[in-house]
Amino acid sequence: MLNNHDITDSDEQSKILTWLSPLEPHLGHNDLRTNRVKGVGEWLLSTKEFRSWKHGDGKSESQKAIIFFTGNLGVGKTYIR
Amino acid sequence: MDSLCDEPREVRDDIVVACFYFDSTAQEEQGAASVLGALLKQVIGCYKWIPEEITDTFQRHKKFVGGRELEIPEIVKMLGIFSSPRHIYFCLDALDECAAPDRAKILLSLKEIVKMSPTTRLFLTGRPYVGHEVRKHFPEGTALISISPRNGDIIHYIHAKLVEDTNSGEMDEEIRERNCEEYSGNCL
Repeated sequence: MLNNHDITDSDEQSKILTWLSPLEPHLGHNDLRTNRVKGVGEWLLSTKEFRSWKHGDGKSESQKAIIFFTGNLGVGKTYIR
Repeated sequence: MDSLCDEPREVRDDIVVACFYFDSTAQEEQGAASVLGALLKQVIGCYKWIPEEITDTFQRHKKFVGGRELEIPEIVKMLGIFSSPRHIYFCLDALDECAAPDRAKILLSLKEIVKMSPTTRLFLTGRPYVGHEVRKHFPEGTALISISPRNGDIIHYIHAKLVEDTNSGEMDEEIRERNCEEYSGNCL
């Protein structure tokens, strides 16, 4: 069980988070969500490789821990839902 | 990534999804330590408070003149600790846009994290030439899906964009259909 500090000083909390990394990748993700066209590329999520990877629990060697989507520039890798 | 976040909570309530999008024009800012730190920041976002291990390390590093940044082994250790009790998905997009030395450090770090926390799942995307680097670090544990445009996707995409087009009424229906077919044919 982890022990946690109750950080009431939000400035201190914000300093720690920026110290961990100044980057804010979730902002880019929100833009992608807005620009994604619903339904495009949905078939990828139905592949047996993706479903096996997603529901894997690390207990079986046949379940891959990593899924790598590869393709040339502009095929839509970034917009996979 | 959203398909992971949308997993019904009654099915699995311990899911954490952390993402990163590489950008070739931002390689300087997107160094290995900053990228891994950004993943850690998202992982601890599921805690009500910042864990003590992190606040203690921050206080310790603050004592150095000018403050000291977290080093990769420290971040990896923390990611391993905080990933373990949960089902973590790390999604890293466009590995090919990451500078090669940073990419090597990141893949090595992810390998360590998966070893420490076997329930961790990595969702990676990139152009084909980085495939061998991914397989080098994860020789047996990688599922590879090759993507190429599908006719149905292209037609669906063009239709959706035409619906958004404020001048689309000026285009004759027949021309619109022909454009969709020609564009999809050109792409394949």
